Amino acid sequence: MPDALGYGAVQTLNALSFSALLLLNGLGLSVVLSLMNFVNLAHGSFFLLGSYVAIFWLGSGAPWWLAFPAAFLAAGLAGLLLDRFPFRRFYARPHLMQVLLTYGLSLIFADLMRWGIGAQILTPELPDMLKGVVFIGDMPFPIFRLFLIGAGTVLGLALWLLLDRTIWGAVLRAAVTDRGIVETLGIDTRRVFTVVLVLSAGLGGLSGALGAGMLAAYPGLDEEVLLLALVTVVVGGLGSFGGSVAGALVVGFTLTFSKVWLPEFANLAAFGALVLLLLVRPAGIVAPALRRL
Amino acid sequence: MIRVIAAAAVVALFADDYLLRFLAEILLFGVAVMSLDILIGFGGLMSLGHAALFGGAAYAAAIVARQWGGDLVLMLGTGMATGLVLAAVMGVVVLRSGQLFLLIMTLLLAQMLWEVAFHWRDVTGGADGLRGLPALSLGPWALSGARALFLVAVPLAVVAFLVARSFIAAPIGRALVGTREEPIRMTALGYSLFAVRFRAMMVAGAMAGAAGALLPFVNQYVGPQSVHWTLSATLVIMLVIGGIGSLWGGFIGSAVYLGIQTYLSAYTDRWQLLVGLVFVLTVLLLPNGVAGGVRRWRS
Repeated sequence: MPDALGYGAVQTLNALSFSALLLLNGLGLSVVLSLMNFVNLAHGSFFLLGSYVAIFWLGSGAPWWLAFPAAFLAAGLAGLLLDRFPFRRFYARPHLMQVLLTYGLSLIFADLMRWGIGAQILTPELPDMLKGVVFIGDMPFPIFRLFLIGAGTVLGLALWLLLDRTIWGAVLRAAVTDRGIVETLGIDTRRVFTVVLVLSAGLGGLSGALGAGMLAAYPGLDEEVLLLALVTVVVGGLGSFGGSVAGALVVGFTLTFSKVWLPEFANLAAFGALVLLLLVRPAGIVAPALRRL
Repeated sequence: MIRVIAAAAVVALFADDYLLRFLAEILLFGVAVMSLDILIGFGGLMSLGHAALFGGAAYAAAIVARQWGGDLVLMLGTGMATGLVLAAVMGVVVLRSGQLFLLIMTLLLAQMLWEVAFHWRDVTGGADGLRGLPALSLGPWALSGARALFLVAVPLAVVAFLVARSFIAAPIGRALVGTREEPIRMTALGYSLFAVRFRAMMVAGAMAGAAGALLPFVNQYVGPQSVHWTLSATLVIMLVIGGIGSLWGGFIGSAVYLGIQTYLSAYTDRWQLLVGLVFVLTVLLLPNGVAGGVRRWRS
């Protein structure tokens, strides 16, 4: 195998670009889950909405790089509206009711999008800058995936700074640990919740816009992405940034390399590996010492 | 109970084949939803992998039937055994921890079964599924028509309902509700959470397996869609529409869902939208489903 090194490098990059996508998408879900204790199964709908917004934006001839903020804003707006009604009434309800409500909503959104856009598979018209491939050794690798890794790293770093290094992030992390104490400091945690849900939805939309170049967009993608995000969050561990990164990397690499080694039974092997991992570490790879009440 | 049997007899006499097959399907799904209710409604165990038990038994029955013929006793035995084994595996793996963990683990395990059903073409037929099944039979009698299938499904549903009701009323069922409400106190009282939940899982597996075993004969087909996680989600939708925590609600829920699917899909492509709306409205307005609404209206 003369280009075994190149092949390995390309697969590693594939896994990294997939992990970047999983990270952005999983972070939104994870923050909402750990801060608000809210299971949002409509998260995949935000992703698919972002994909469609980006595809239409890129097809319209407007400046291409604005497609990503547009997807963020569109999904964020959807999140804001949903926060007003009916999510807010369900923040304090048991998980089961949240799961039921948001799953029902995701069914409605999925069918609305299929109604409005159709069931065909759409791929974005990438700008010239992101088209084509680069050669690593002898192996071609799409430039867009390099862009994905770069965007994922930059956005991930920005989010880490926001959550870990700003006063706003401190408020958020404090509210995850003990909401009551934060309230006694005079901070309206309901408004924090709204901001977080909008941010989470926007991140979902943004990752959808980025993911459209890799996964395309079609009805049913919302469910697939939701599953991956849930697995990422649970494997990584709730309530920490490092957990989401670890989860995204583990899931991204497991799925990519099981496709390389066992193409026929890739998902079976990958799911099996993830089940084993969860059995060994039920609380996820990075399990912060949270106060459990 | 006598009224139910009388109603079933009247239906069996006068309904046409199409309706009878549809009713048999409702009853089988109703049993599966009822077994899921034992887990979700009474045990608080949010499973998103129930289709693995239901559809796994359907596959097992279809495979055995192609090999040795569709004897009813053999089918029910195969289905229940498959349901029990799958539930035991699932139980050992998932019943170690709490809600979200359980949700993801049941989902992952069920999807693993789907991967097997989808890719193992020699045995499961892959994406095409299995067709051309022999007719169901009981000893020398062939139970091939829709009427015969309906007359098999009714006693199955009645027996399953009685089993579920006595399970819930028995000390083990009460203990199951206890583990949902007060897990720490139940542990302090000396109950093993795992043992109680595992038994509930086994009962649910056997029930779902018995119903699943007959499904290929009603549909004359079994495909990978019957073990996919969307079917698990569909069972949850049926459960919620019917009413969580009500055993007969499962039959209402499966009737509403399959009714929308069968009759409205003929008129509009948007039946999924309608299912979603009915589902969300149920969660918002009738948190205990149709059964809960009926109970409230009566009192």
